[in-house]
Amino acid sequence: MTKRPPKDDLRDVLAVALDHGGDFADIFIQKKVTTGIGCEANQIERLNSGIDLGAGIRVIVGEATAYAYTNDLRKEGLLHAAKVASHAARGNRTNQPVVLTAAVPGIDLPVEQRPDQVAVADKVEQVLRANHHARSLDARIKQVTVGYADLTQEVTLVNSEGLYLEDESIRTRFVVHAVAADGAMIQTGYDAAGGTVGFELFREKAPEDLAQAAVDRALLMLTARPAPSGRMPVVMAGEAGGTMVHEACGHGLEADLVQKGLSVYAGKQGQQVASPLVTVVDDATLPGKYGTFRFDDEGIPGQKTVLIEKGVLRGYMYDRFTAGKDNCPSTGNGRRESYQHKPIPRMTNTLITPGNEDPAQIIKDTAYGLLVQKMGGGQVNTANGDFVFDVAEGYLIENGEVKHAVRGATLTGNGPEALKVVDRVGRDLGFSIGTCGKDGQGVPVSDAQPTIRMASLVVGGTGEPRQQGRAQGKIRRL
Amino acid sequence: MQQFDLRVLAREMVDQARTKGAVMAEAYGLEAKELSIEVAGGQVETMTQAEDRGLGVRVFRDDRMGYAFTTDLTRVALQATVDRALANAAWTGEDVHHRLPGKAAAYPRVDTLDQVIGQTSIEAKIELAKTVEATAKAADPRVKITERSAYQDSEYTVSVVNSAGVDVAYRGAYLGVYIYLVAEENGDNQTGFAMAYSRRLAGIDPVKVGREAAAKAVRMLGAKPVATRRMPVVCDPFVTTQLLGILAPGLTAEAVQKGKSLFAGKTGQMVVSPLISLIDDGCLDGGIGSAPFDGEGVPTSRTVLIGQGRLNAFLHNTYTATKAGQVSTGNGVRGSFKGTPEVGTTNFFLEAGAQSPEQLLGQISEGLYVTELMGVHTANPISGDFSLGAAGLLIENGQLTRAVRGVAIAGNLLTMLNAVDGVGNDLTFFSSRGAPTVRLKELPVSGT
Repeated sequence: MTKRPPKDDLRDVLAVALDHGGDFADIFIQKKVTTGIGCEANQIERLNSGIDLGAGIRVIVGEATAYAYTNDLRKEGLLHAAKVASHAARGNRTNQPVVLTAAVPGIDLPVEQRPDQVAVADKVEQVLRANHHARSLDARIKQVTVGYADLTQEVTLVNSEGLYLEDESIRTRFVVHAVAADGAMIQTGYDAAGGTVGFELFREKAPEDLAQAAVDRALLMLTARPAPSGRMPVVMAGEAGGTMVHEACGHGLEADLVQKGLSVYAGKQGQQVASPLVTVVDDATLPGKYGTFRFDDEGIPGQKTVLIEKGVLRGYMYDRFTAGKDNCPSTGNGRRESYQHKPIPRMTNTLITPGNEDPAQIIKDTAYGLLVQKMGGGQVNTANGDFVFDVAEGYLIENGEVKHAVRGATLTGNGPEALKVVDRVGRDLGFSIGTCGKDGQGVPVSDAQPTIRMASLVVGGTGEPRQQGRAQGKIRRL
Repeated sequence: MQQFDLRVLAREMVDQARTKGAVMAEAYGLEAKELSIEVAGGQVETMTQAEDRGLGVRVFRDDRMGYAFTTDLTRVALQATVDRALANAAWTGEDVHHRLPGKAAAYPRVDTLDQVIGQTSIEAKIELAKTVEATAKAADPRVKITERSAYQDSEYTVSVVNSAGVDVAYRGAYLGVYIYLVAEENGDNQTGFAMAYSRRLAGIDPVKVGREAAAKAVRMLGAKPVATRRMPVVCDPFVTTQLLGILAPGLTAEAVQKGKSLFAGKTGQMVVSPLISLIDDGCLDGGIGSAPFDGEGVPTSRTVLIGQGRLNAFLHNTYTATKAGQVSTGNGVRGSFKGTPEVGTTNFFLEAGAQSPEQLLGQISEGLYVTELMGVHTANPISGDFSLGAAGLLIENGQLTRAVRGVAIAGNLLTMLNAVDGVGNDLTFFSSRGAPTVRLKELPVSGT
């Protein structure tokens, strides 16, 4: 922040927030400095710099939360927002004057090349390199979109329990999207990289590598055949990313949904909810990953939480409010999109931990099924556990061999059922990044899994269903 | 909140940009007062009140465009924002089609501000959200959990000022209620959802919303997949609206000019079933997407995109119109001051047909009535290919018989819209998009 509001002022604002009573209050002040670069139609179309400055004030009384936010960070502005929140809350005054103590982070998040110290010319160059490389690869590539975004965020957080926190976090993201056309057929491919890193992101992955991956995927889909439809074994490669774990169980293990009875995992602590081969953790401390942080948006240090251990449900992801209801400590999963939102339990980096098997052997041992090499987006209905996700790159497996690519496949399943039929787990681990949406709030997350096989999932393609009892399914072109 | 007149600040930014070397400049200001109330179990769970504002500035120099925005409205911050926009313009592509619109002769008269919304007490608004929930719970004893019953409203002022003579502002407001709930029976949990948005307080019927959500959840109890096969499919208005949403980007001139539209080069041709007419209308009476002018200050208009199956026109902003040698349709849409005006829809809808939903179902011996889609954001707007999770009800001999879930439907949007053989008379809007019930001759349904 150009200038963080003085501690004494924030103490006064907290006092006003609790003027009509309340069990808890906090002030979340955020300054986001962003750069966004967009390249399409073979030119830099957009270069956007932003400064977003604001404060959110929350008062909790019993089960109710009052929230007010403002862009006016002068003391008068904060006091006005505090009055609005306090007026909406109206509890019994229970609070004593607050002594503010600085919080200590559990991990460090070193950034080597801060985006605010990298010249715009260098950022533009990465984007143009990806664009040129993608366009040079194949005449069938008709359009290339490249996006670069960086974010430097400063947060000041105080609460009525005496916490005072100054934090800074940095994120950088790069996306390449390619459109390939051949006759009337149009297909797309994309690849993305990002993390809680600065410009060193491009040391790990050159713009050309991402361009290549996006182009390869788009071209492959031109020749892919329609995906089969019906129930069949599915092998998900480690490189496929973690959309499945995110949708199949991640959301259902968020404490707010559990407490409201909106999760199929409610009341199942200590029970077998997945195959004994499956261990799921949420870990905000993984260095450089997209969902990593020093502190969550309520000032709780980021941590690693075991959710499912060898198939047994161990715990849920909590923020302060839901932890208070269950009389347990927050697991540091209280996150918010911005000062405009109250924190709710969210995932960070969520993964199925690796097993012992050789990923190649898992495919070899599969007589027939779908190999998911790259997952796209997904969605879940936590109340009944039904989920769906998109296959960005998939192949048919026949007699242990990877055959032709398939397009247009979606996997449909039910969280607990899908995790119970996991019968093979590889020793690899692959991450994917994304923006996870819940209650209208988007937060950066990453998800990961090793190569796993599920004995049976529903594949929704446009191809013919596989005939029952035949050893080899033949997919007819439509 | 410190009082600022964003239109005055916008003028200052435009003048400053011109003084500092911009050939053209535009500033866009948005200030909004938002209220949202979430109720569960008859109690307010969360109430959010906010005042939000910001300015974005677009500058052009040597046929290059730069953009910057800020929520810090101090003089120093505004100057820095103009400087950053100008600095950004040094790096973007040279493009001779950059233009800013001039002052329009007239703007459509659109009634966007119901003063009653702002004058109504918070207590009355809480009562609306409570009524939605209470109605849903009273509708059926199996409605056990309210995830959220919510009221929300927004009152806002938009200002657009540019160096070509545009200097306009308007005020608007809208409100809405929605509910997510769960019905429970024999350990089976099913969700129901309903919503209503309006420009006018009197346009909201909380009882109807509550009943609809309850009915939707209860009828899904005991849902099972069906066997994999091709069958006729009927999409309810919400599902049809979601599917049309995938199509919307392809109807913009931007997608056409970038080779990303399914419809490119097909103007004047039959592209879908003759039963389909798709409209975008930025000055639709009462429309949530209605405004006198778009994000560039161009008057809004009504555009027939597809008329009785024939591709008629694409949506334009000033840039795409200049490039195509046409006139902007007033679709330079911007969601906030944080971005440049892109080509987008205003009120986008499929025109109602003649048949009632019952008539559409009545002619099917076996089919699927789809009421819920999952993974719509994964469909491919460029190829039109989709493969989505679906849930709904089985149609047997013209009647809805049992609930279905855990199935997937797949196909291509164009193929699908060609297979439409019935359009209902029940056009329903979900915020700024809408559609009636639609019947498709056949679609592959994947289940067990």
